[in-house]
Amino acid sequence: MKKVAGKKNRGLTKSGPLLLIALPGIIYIIINNYIPMFGVFLAFKDYNYVKGIFGSDWNGFDNFKYLFRHDALLIVRNTILYNLAFIIIGTIFSILVAILMCELGNRFRVKIFQSSLLLPNLLSWVVIGFIGFAFLNSDTGFINKTIIKFLGENEVAWYTNPKPWPIILLIVYLWKNVGYSSIIYMASIAGIDKSIFEAAKIDGANKIKQIRYITIPMLKPTVVILTLMAIGRIFYSDFGLFYQVPMNSGALYNVTQTIDTYVYHSLMELKDVGMSAAAALYQSIIGFILVVTANAVVRKVDKDNALF
Amino acid sequence: MNKLKKLLIISFSLIMAIIAAGCGKSESGKNNESNSQSGDKKSYDKVVYAYATFNNIPSSDVLETVQEEINKITREKINVEVELLPISIADYSSSVSLSLQGGEQIDLFESLGDYNTCVSSGMAYDITDLIDTCAAETKEVLGEDILAACVKDGRLYGIPTYKPYALTPMVIYKTEIADQLGIDMSQVKSAFDLTDVLRKVKEAYPDMIPLVPVQTGTSGLNLTVPDVDYLTDDYYSPKGVLMGDNMTVVDYYGTDEFAEICNLVRTWYNEGLILKDAATTTSTCTELMSSDNSFCYIASYSYPPEDTAASISAQVGNIPLGAVQIGEAYLDTTSINALTWMVSSNSKVPEAALKFLNLTFTDPDIINLLIYGIKDRDYVMDEEGYVSYPEGQDASSVPYTAQLSCGTLGNFFFMYPMTGTSKESLKWEEEQNKLAKKSPAMGFTFDSSEVKTEYTAVSNVIQQYLPGLLCGSVDPEVVIPEFRSKLSDAGLDTIIAAKQAQLDEWLKTK
Repeated sequence: MKKVAGKKNRGLTKSGPLLLIALPGIIYIIINNYIPMFGVFLAFKDYNYVKGIFGSDWNGFDNFKYLFRHDALLIVRNTILYNLAFIIIGTIFSILVAILMCELGNRFRVKIFQSSLLLPNLLSWVVIGFIGFAFLNSDTGFINKTIIKFLGENEVAWYTNPKPWPIILLIVYLWKNVGYSSIIYMASIAGIDKSIFEAAKIDGANKIKQIRYITIPMLKPTVVILTLMAIGRIFYSDFGLFYQVPMNSGALYNVTQTIDTYVYHSLMELKDVGMSAAAALYQSIIGFILVVTANAVVRKVDKDNALF
Repeated sequence: MNKLKKLLIISFSLIMAIIAAGCGKSESGKNNESNSQSGDKKSYDKVVYAYATFNNIPSSDVLETVQEEINKITREKINVEVELLPISIADYSSSVSLSLQGGEQIDLFESLGDYNTCVSSGMAYDITDLIDTCAAETKEVLGEDILAACVKDGRLYGIPTYKPYALTPMVIYKTEIADQLGIDMSQVKSAFDLTDVLRKVKEAYPDMIPLVPVQTGTSGLNLTVPDVDYLTDDYYSPKGVLMGDNMTVVDYYGTDEFAEICNLVRTWYNEGLILKDAATTTSTCTELMSSDNSFCYIASYSYPPEDTAASISAQVGNIPLGAVQIGEAYLDTTSINALTWMVSSNSKVPEAALKFLNLTFTDPDIINLLIYGIKDRDYVMDEEGYVSYPEGQDASSVPYTAQLSCGTLGNFFFMYPMTGTSKESLKWEEEQNKLAKKSPAMGFTFDSSEVKTEYTAVSNVIQQYLPGLLCGSVDPEVVIPEFRSKLSDAGLDTIIAAKQAQLDEWLKTK
């Protein structure tokens, strides 16, 4: 008995300080994420300022109706496809960058590259939107005035032509996020036992083979965890990316409208509390289902790597 | 282990203590306040006046000085103390509605284009029974006709700001360029006359963008369509409207007038006469006009053309500007109730709030304190009664000013005129209020709550197509039919039917 207790204690002694460090974060999450959850039922109410939160009338699923109109399919498609592209291509690029970074060796060089890759992540979407505008605007934009002129082609009205936007959004997303997410992979790579690489070298494995057979398999758990977490947010989209970068141009809605921007556009005029709550609830429920499903799949395939 | 437990307990209690202290602080703060209030010989009802400012938000000690001046008057006249709460125009609506939801005290607020939402979501207090006792003078000043715009189902929910309501569409242009090219702008009588002018400018200055948009997503042409009653919709997102005297609600986008302006601006776009990115640019028209390569824009103003030109000229670095009228003013319910002052439904002192609101419509001292601040510190006045900023100061450097909010606070006609404007214009404006054509549906407001779902979907479609059409960046021949079919998918017909039904109902009771 005492022995067991002792073991437990040792566990707590070890993790106690860590828990303490996590405490502000935990409190933050409780206050910011858990307490507001009680407002979920607003999604089923016809909110009225006089009657207040509890007094307002129930109105069943009326608040959800606008999320399922005929164009809802397009919006859901956009949200999911973009997020899938971001998850897959983003992960590939981040790993690539992380591996290249680790191969640089020289600390000084690594620092420079890392900082410059990280910089876009610190910019707000509004700023990035305007950087994009400097490139793309029709009258004075860099692309229209230099590159397209040089090629002798006709000027393109970027903000009214939906075709290139999936690619533009992907490029902008990668530019902003790859530097940041590659850090996690770099940390994982740094954690791989160096002696494995040395052994491989002695056996005559070249760099490509080392990456193929050691680095990438060793990164698998990290990839799985990050992907699972990303899947949980697959029904959310980065509002800034889809609103600021295309400059909220109506002509592009077919390819830039995601659930978040749709909700924003829909409720701009009405400012209906119940309907916004409905949108949030809808997103979290789908996200929850997706995470649980994805996790179940992972558990089936590879039990060790599942989140729970 | 014990050590750790202790550590955890200590840290927890520390956090609780901090939280408790936080609460305690605000509690004690409140107590102090009430103490100091009851410490005075008399106790006054405290009214919080939340107004939108287009100027800088003044610092709190400056604000207090203005507040104190106002309170000197209100304590005596109506036994009320006022707390001023200026909120930047950009955050106004959201910040007021969040504060009201959170139960913070705001007794008076303005509707900012959202009269209906404010009423249907229950933010506004029903002042029907109070107005005769608390704001009788205001009722007299405004008259029943104007107040009728704020009546819903026979109950009065607010008092519209008293100001020049009639918005007259105009072209604001740079006089230097017009003179240079020998263009006689007085010959421009409608938007269609503008094409030749723009072409001339483009010919003489190929690098110039002759026309800039008045705001994101509109060339301003929609403002020149005559005699439209938007029936409570946003000007920039009309759904079902009335055209002229016909009492049938029509689809705005199906009208010939709409097709005509779209075709017109498309020609401009194709010839490079309008800013290519007009549909998306976030630059304001004053910013665009300050640059060298612009010539004019189309907008609606409620002041006489000369005054408008003079006051905008001051905002664009004193480039000489002219203005010419290209349409007639038209009054509908929204043009009056867009800016309605409301007593909040959770106000504990509605009588006191309304009494103070009454003063902002009837007491010149209060209005001018709110707009210009304190005499000789924030503004100076010449012998003829015109005001200007003190020597070497401007709107951004004086301690307090809300000058740009003029026409949103109480009674505009009691405000001291700025140097550069004329008292004559005030007469013109009051006259316009009386002379302007009025919609046959004046006083009708549309309640969108029964068609909320359709409303959201339709707003969405409009935002997708309308800016492109109004700025010429898409081809109306192709896009208007597509736009209309999407609108009807989204349920525009249901909205129009609902509007018609409510309108018929309203006509019956009239």
